[in-house]
Amino acid sequence: MFENFSWILFFLIFLLLLVLVFFPQYGLKDRWQRYKIANKRVLLEDALKYIFDQEQQGHTVGVDALSGKLKISSKSAFELIEQMTEQGLITTQKNHVHLSDDGERLALQIIRAHRLWERYLLDEARMPLDQVHDQAKRRQHGMTQKEIDELDASLGYPLSDPHGDPIPTAAGTFYPHEKGIQVNEWEEGVLGKIVHLEDEPAIAFAQIMAAGLKPGQLVRILEKNQKRVILTDGEQEFNLAPAVAANVYVLPLSKEEMVQRDAIPLSQLPTEMEAEIVRLDESCQGFTRRRFLDLGLTPGTKIYPELDNSFGDPRAYRVRGTLIALRSDQAEDIWVTPMQVTS
Amino acid sequence: MTTNKEITPQDILLKADALRPQLGSGFRDEIVQSMYAEAQRITDRAVQQDKKQKWDLDQRIDRLVTSPIFGLPIMLFILAAIFWLTIVGANVPSQLLATGLFWIEEQAANLFTSIGIPWWITGFLWHGVYRGLAWVISVMLPPMAIFFPIFTILEDLGYLPRVAFNLDWLFKKAGAHGKQALSMAMGFGCNAAGVISTRVIDSPRERLIAILTNNFVPCNGRFPTLIMLATVFVAASFPPAFASFVAAGSVLVVVLIGVFFTMLMSWILSRTVLKGEASAFTLELPPYRRPSIGRILYTSLIDRTIFVLWRAILTAAPAGALIWILGNILVQDVSLANHIASFLNPFGLLLGLDGVILLAYIIAIPANEIVVPTMMMVYMGVGMMTDPPSYNQLYTLLVDGYGWTMLTAVNLMLFSLLHNPCATTILTIYKETKSMRWAVLSVVITLGTAFLVTFLVASLVRLAGWV
Repeated sequence: MFENFSWILFFLIFLLLLVLVFFPQYGLKDRWQRYKIANKRVLLEDALKYIFDQEQQGHTVGVDALSGKLKISSKSAFELIEQMTEQGLITTQKNHVHLSDDGERLALQIIRAHRLWERYLLDEARMPLDQVHDQAKRRQHGMTQKEIDELDASLGYPLSDPHGDPIPTAAGTFYPHEKGIQVNEWEEGVLGKIVHLEDEPAIAFAQIMAAGLKPGQLVRILEKNQKRVILTDGEQEFNLAPAVAANVYVLPLSKEEMVQRDAIPLSQLPTEMEAEIVRLDESCQGFTRRRFLDLGLTPGTKIYPELDNSFGDPRAYRVRGTLIALRSDQAEDIWVTPMQVTS
Repeated sequence: MTTNKEITPQDILLKADALRPQLGSGFRDEIVQSMYAEAQRITDRAVQQDKKQKWDLDQRIDRLVTSPIFGLPIMLFILAAIFWLTIVGANVPSQLLATGLFWIEEQAANLFTSIGIPWWITGFLWHGVYRGLAWVISVMLPPMAIFFPIFTILEDLGYLPRVAFNLDWLFKKAGAHGKQALSMAMGFGCNAAGVISTRVIDSPRERLIAILTNNFVPCNGRFPTLIMLATVFVAASFPPAFASFVAAGSVLVVVLIGVFFTMLMSWILSRTVLKGEASAFTLELPPYRRPSIGRILYTSLIDRTIFVLWRAILTAAPAGALIWILGNILVQDVSLANHIASFLNPFGLLLGLDGVILLAYIIAIPANEIVVPTMMMVYMGVGMMTDPPSYNQLYTLLVDGYGWTMLTAVNLMLFSLLHNPCATTILTIYKETKSMRWAVLSVVITLGTAFLVTFLVASLVRLAGWV
């Protein structure tokens, strides 16, 4: 009898497995098929983006280049090109492929999704700048026009991605941003604001990140020659090779910004010293910025650190009569000018 | 001006799209700034402030409760006091409730029998469904009715945000929010209430971390199990003079292990699954207020106690029915419960437990309070959930009769601490996150940890030859 009991159990488990595999929509079989379709779509979108980028730079794309870039066999690349031609996304001339109008629209949509995701990851998820590109690449695929529009709206229609590249609008137009001047061309000793960091090639971008430069930072050239460019933000020095420095773009400061130069981050304000908020750092966007504004941390507001923490972090500040605790990495994004102590 | 065609909403949207780039990035800041300026203007005109700053006393209290010397001791003292009050205070009412409710069961069952209703209807209704309910109510209600009001008083006073302020450095390292300390403390009362209390965390990612890890804090449905095991097994191997200290100490160690896993899991989650969720840290420290008794009674008793109890009742009744069925349907003179237990036994032994324990955990998913009574039912071969006999008898029964060792007791404590949340909590997680995904994940990570840890401990102990 007990043997029978085991058999019944075994049969039940077998039945359960069958259901798991063949259940419509949620079963493993259907999931696997969806996965394969999604993979195909990723490949197609990557191909479109690659062809678009190459065409923008005036290059043409052949089968070999495509198979090399996407890391697929020539046979698969041929199939992909065939499929894209069938869908009217590309036209082929000789051995080269060109984007059709439809193809260009789709490519722009992918670029838009990618740059919007970069904004989201940096602003809302507070992910480090050097990681957003890879994460965004993973998330940009298979989005419908509506989903991208919703993402755009939720971010408040940003104009540029975290690296300063413009984000195409829903209609597919770019609003080119002021790109700034390459720091190599910048005059020595003059203060400038970093407006753009070119994220390709990745090696140069990694070096810029490693040096600790970020968009919105105020810098000045200390030394410039054939071998190196040394920048300073007043405290630290940043040592870059000229080829790397060419990926950093700066612009002169506006009048307002010149006035606020003596501001310090809130995190460096000594305890019990009153200060006035000058501005919120430009690198601080999205969710955190909205929270700051909601709490009344607007320019012109008086603030002073009231309660230190025995473990250093967070510190509590008195703002508009309430006590608000902020961690030091957030207080760094709030620029203040200390007020003269009279007593 | 003449218009050639009518203006459609589409045109307006297109126009807005075209104008948007000219706005510049700072227009949101300007809107908020002007709103605050207006509010400031109205306040200046309408509100008169005393020359004397009114938060002098607040400041002094703040300095004390966040000071490097007194901050942590004050916090620990308050936490210990709450526990002591809850555990000691709940003992007597729990006993009374149990006696009363089980007396009703006996009378009702006798009545049913005397008017000739078949034994299985009586058993199913009274010894199954009703007994499950009565058990959960008598174990759960008194501690919650004590714990929640005290906790709400601290909340109303404004002390809890200071705890978050003190402990934030620890949570920051794990990628979590200081306010998670509050939801964890609430979790000692009930994990479902703990999950609800994560609403105070305004940052989505940190809130999800707090929700998913809340179960690593043992709730008061699991505390009795931990205390019993610590007393009967761990403390019993020490001289009587130290026994109670050892028992209290080992419960404390288990709680600390729970805290350790909370931190570890928070750290892992914030770097993997939750990497792309939105995040921001702010913590308001409100002024201290005199708590209002009416509101405290309302929030703690109606919002929390009754709410949690109601959900527990909804899940405990079917569990009671199932337990009775498993205990009373005999296949070849052996109850279904025993069949399943012996089927699960090899797997249980692998984890340093046994089949009965696993069975008890599976059918007690609705409410952790009934794990021990269910285990006793199967071990003692009776047809309904049963109180453990006196501690000495229990020790003899389990060790001599069923081959329990120190390993079984320790692993049962670990398993009880780490295993999946009860049905009420899973349901609450689903309702709070509105996502099946997080509810499932909360079960997977806790159960995974429980299996892994107990398996490793069992294997290590066996390899070392201690058992």
